[in-house]
Amino acid sequence: MHLLEVSNPVAIQRGVLNAISASNRPATLDDKTVGLIWSGTHGGDIALKRAGEMLQERFENVKVNFYTGGNYTTPPAIVPQAGEECDVVIGATAD
Amino acid sequence: MIVVEKMGKPGVAIVSGRFESDAVASSRAFGMPDLQWVVVPHIYRNLDPETCRTQTEDAIDDIIASLTSSIDARQQAEQTDTRRYEGEDRHDAIMRMNQEFINEDLGDGLLLHPPTAESVAEMLTGTNLPPDHEVCDMPPGFGVATIEKIAINAVMAGAKPEHLPVVIAGVKALSKLGGQGGKSLLMSTSPQAPLLIVNGPVTKSLGFNPGSALGPGRDNQVNTIVGRAFALCFRNIGHWYFNKMDMDTIGTSRKFIQCIAENEDASPWDGFHVDQGFKASESTVSVFVTDGELDVQDQGNHTAEGLLKNLAYGSTFGTMSLQSPRGGQERLILMPPDVARPVGTQGFSKQAAKEFIHKHSRGSVGKLMQYMPLEGEARVHDHWKWLENLTEEQLLQITVPIMNDPDDCYILVVGADRAKTAVFPSGPAPVTEGIDQYMA
Repeated sequence: MHLLEVSNPVAIQRGVLNAISASNRPATLDDKTVGLIWSGTHGGDIALKRAGEMLQERFENVKVNFYTGGNYTTPPAIVPQAGEECDVVIGATAD
Repeated sequence: MIVVEKMGKPGVAIVSGRFESDAVASSRAFGMPDLQWVVVPHIYRNLDPETCRTQTEDAIDDIIASLTSSIDARQQAEQTDTRRYEGEDRHDAIMRMNQEFINEDLGDGLLLHPPTAESVAEMLTGTNLPPDHEVCDMPPGFGVATIEKIAINAVMAGAKPEHLPVVIAGVKALSKLGGQGGKSLLMSTSPQAPLLIVNGPVTKSLGFNPGSALGPGRDNQVNTIVGRAFALCFRNIGHWYFNKMDMDTIGTSRKFIQCIAENEDASPWDGFHVDQGFKASESTVSVFVTDGELDVQDQGNHTAEGLLKNLAYGSTFGTMSLQSPRGGQERLILMPPDVARPVGTQGFSKQAAKEFIHKHSRGSVGKLMQYMPLEGEARVHDHWKWLENLTEEQLLQITVPIMNDPDDCYILVVGADRAKTAVFPSGPAPVTEGIDQYMA
């Protein structure tokens, strides 16, 4: 028998070393503002708008904000804007 | 979504089935393993509007749950420093190691050399840096590129200690590419792949081939091995795993990365590293990201202008971005001595050749923009909206420069005798890193 011991070639990722947890969730979307972030690719806008409509059908007093920077990829500025102005956010890359 | 979550707001991404493994890998790479996403069956981009709506309706319960239910932390695999394999003999143990590495996608499909403690220690003699020195966070997955991890992957590729400084410099150069090491391009569904090109004394001292440099075989052994070492670093340090952080639709053999040399002896001009601000006596490696390859043949031109016009025309393939006012592309031109020599001796500096190629590389806007409709696509920049009002015939008659600027054209002299030039769509701008600083 022969025992071969080798080194692991896989590097740990910086994102794993510095990982953060997901934020706390609300119990309901009633009275919440939902942000929809579109990256600008075909079909993603249709999907997001339908999701927004359905949330307004299922919950009370839901406001929907639609964001797009009009360019790919999602421009950083509209992402924090959505985070500032909304209670929850949905994104779609369409890819 | 991670930006939103960092602001304390719940977020959820809608992703298509093929991209779920990408979502897993990306959430780890970008520091939030518990990021929430909802999977839909098909990519939206080419669906009809009704299907876009219905597949979203089917996912709405999951979307709501992701935004309103508490999040359980995802289990993360533990990292180990070593792995053990028992075999009937050494060969059998090596084959077992290889099978497991292939199963876990840690290799390139070819046989890997075992990175034993002894072979890694020998590899580390190739550099003056300690094993725990962090060179960079390597994109696209931002693995921590220590000297030791680079050495382990270099051993697996069959590299020698003297090759290690080139690999280290290549890893460092990649991390400096525009847009976080070209992160988005490397993860793209298009087949972008790095190509490494060395300049300076190291090309001869290590035996890189500057002639027919991109093929397999004896003459390209060093080109292949050093390129492979970089490619394995890219996988296992950069986490550039197919269908996780490399989402190619079809892929490309250019991802069997090669490291070639400029043919400085056959060039009428300074080496590329001098263009990049280094001394001719310094050794460097430059990382280009290519997105295709075309052989531009020449059958009889012998004047500089004739050769360059043919090359300029041959560079007009591809598509033009409509996402910014400057929609041009970059071109990496590997110019063989039989083109470079007459161009140089007939009075063209390298810069003058680039300006000539830029001037004559024009393509029909009607053809270049076919890949993306102007309507229903927010990515089309306002600068190009005027095109919406033109007929297809008018669009086909308008020509635009393929490159925005002469400096978007990179000329390196590579190759054997015969006027056949290799032209690559490329970008972002290449990065050149000195090698000498990493030598033992």
